Amino acid sequence: MEKEFTPVSIPTSLYKKIEEKIKGTEFSSVSSYVTKVLRESLSKNEENKEVFSAEEEEKIKERLKALGYID
Amino acid sequence: MKKRLLVIGLDCAAPALVFDRVAELPNLKKLMDAGIHGKLRSCDPPITIPAWMVMATGRDPGQLGLYGFRHRRGYEYNKMWIANSTAVKEKTVWDYLGEQGRESVLVSVPPSYPPKPVRGKLISCFITPSSEQAYTYPAELRQEIEERFGPFRFDVTFRTEDRSQVLSEIYQMTENHFEVIGYLLQDKNWSLFWFVEIGVDRVHHAFWKFMDRDHHLYEPGNPYETVIPDYYRFLDEKIGQLLEKVDDRTAVLVVSDHGAKRMKGAFCVNDWLIEQGDLVVTEPPQRGESVDKLKIDWTRTRAWGWGGYYARIFLNVEGREPQGIIRPEDYEAARDELAERLRAIRGPRGEEWKTVVIKPQEHYPELNGEYPDLMVYFDDLYWRSAGTLGYGTMYLEENDTGPDDAVHDYEGIYILYDPKKKGGREQDANILDIAPTILRLLEGPEVPGLRGKVIE
Ligand SMILES: [Zn+2]
Repeated sequence: MEKEFTPVSIPTSLYKKIEEKIKGTEFSSVSSYVTKVLRESLSKNEENKEVFSAEEEEKIKERLKALGYID
Repeated sequence: MKKRLLVIGLDCAAPALVFDRVAELPNLKKLMDAGIHGKLRSCDPPITIPAWMVMATGRDPGQLGLYGFRHRRGYEYNKMWIANSTAVKEKTVWDYLGEQGRESVLVSVPPSYPPKPVRGKLISCFITPSSEQAYTYPAELRQEIEERFGPFRFDVTFRTEDRSQVLSEIYQMTENHFEVIGYLLQDKNWSLFWFVEIGVDRVHHAFWKFMDRDHHLYEPGNPYETVIPDYYRFLDEKIGQLLEKVDDRTAVLVVSDHGAKRMKGAFCVNDWLIEQGDLVVTEPPQRGESVDKLKIDWTRTRAWGWGGYYARIFLNVEGREPQGIIRPEDYEAARDELAERLRAIRGPRGEEWKTVVIKPQEHYPELNGEYPDLMVYFDDLYWRSAGTLGYGTMYLEENDTGPDDAVHDYEGIYILYDPKKKGGREQDANILDIAPTILRLLEGPEVPGLRGKVIE
């Protein structure tokens, strides 16, 4: 079974910097922040998932709800 | 000359409505008598997206990274994306055939919007926002179709209490589909012709309670009692007309992506999570409020859920979610403990449920994309999951977001008719078997890593 989490080592100085940076923000931990930043940086290289305009997306969501697929 | 294959996809067609009533369906009966047929175990989750792509690629939802119609975007709380054709990265059977220079015609195989290039022709599926969009490949095909048959009808308007209107729309849509299919079948070159009729699914969801005597809302003598079997007879006739248009070297596969059964109700999973203390809100939910709009105190919330035919449960984990509170080292224990509580949920009258809880990391050999922490089939899928909440009860008699009398079931159908083979056999199969079976039948390449077995 694949584990959901795995550790990564980063320099302590960097860790402390991040700790400072996230004080008072929505991020509850350095890991949460690092996860978000890394994901964002990686997904820039992923294919764009924004196939639908915001308006289309709302319309489709409503339809999928009525059809029972979501919510 | 190489064989050809016509795949007749009937979204949601259920064994009891085909095999048990086959005496009323002469064209399907002919195929059954001369071919192999059986129940087809769908994937987990047994939902339209990903099921058709599991069939087309031979890869399971974990490999595809597709777990339904929507997914979280990363680990943020309120960002999501809607499944569409670009999310399918694995090769399909028509990609493999295309590499051999062989053509396919694909009509409405979900998800096929936006239309992706294919060696052959393609019309997109019901997730197409409207027929105003480019919905064909090549783009010119759209005009060719519209000149002859008008704009392609992708779906019906479902949220309505006017069932007669829904029914007439379903028939008009299916008529339109079969006209287009009949034309493409004769006019285009193809080795593989694959279409999916979504009307079957829609007629189930809108009319199941009128037919099923065991349904809690069934009323004897109601005017819609025979709507579903009548529609199957109509489909059988339409299928018969298509079969007259193909030659005798054409093999035929009739197949569904999952089955259907009566819905017992909708379970408000987020109300339950609030009651259990896993989900903490800063303001009490309004009646019918969606979890997406709920005022959640993330600093005290451990889990939340999404609705649909199955529930997706997400844990709020430190180091993953922005304001996660479950420590990574406690993740497995917290999840097991929640899974156990979910399995113990009972019905509205205290009756036991056969709830299935799946851990994606254990269930799929390979895991991609934005999977949930837990997948839950309440009472073996009889109870759908409501994402909305605040009704004053966790148990809803009807779907939270509109009329819906049926839920999905694990087992769909297949009928495989191969003109070169003797038939009349019954043999159950798995949805993963479809891709290797198609490739073998059409003498396509041997694809390594497909787990399914050839149906023969
Ligand atoms: Zn389906």
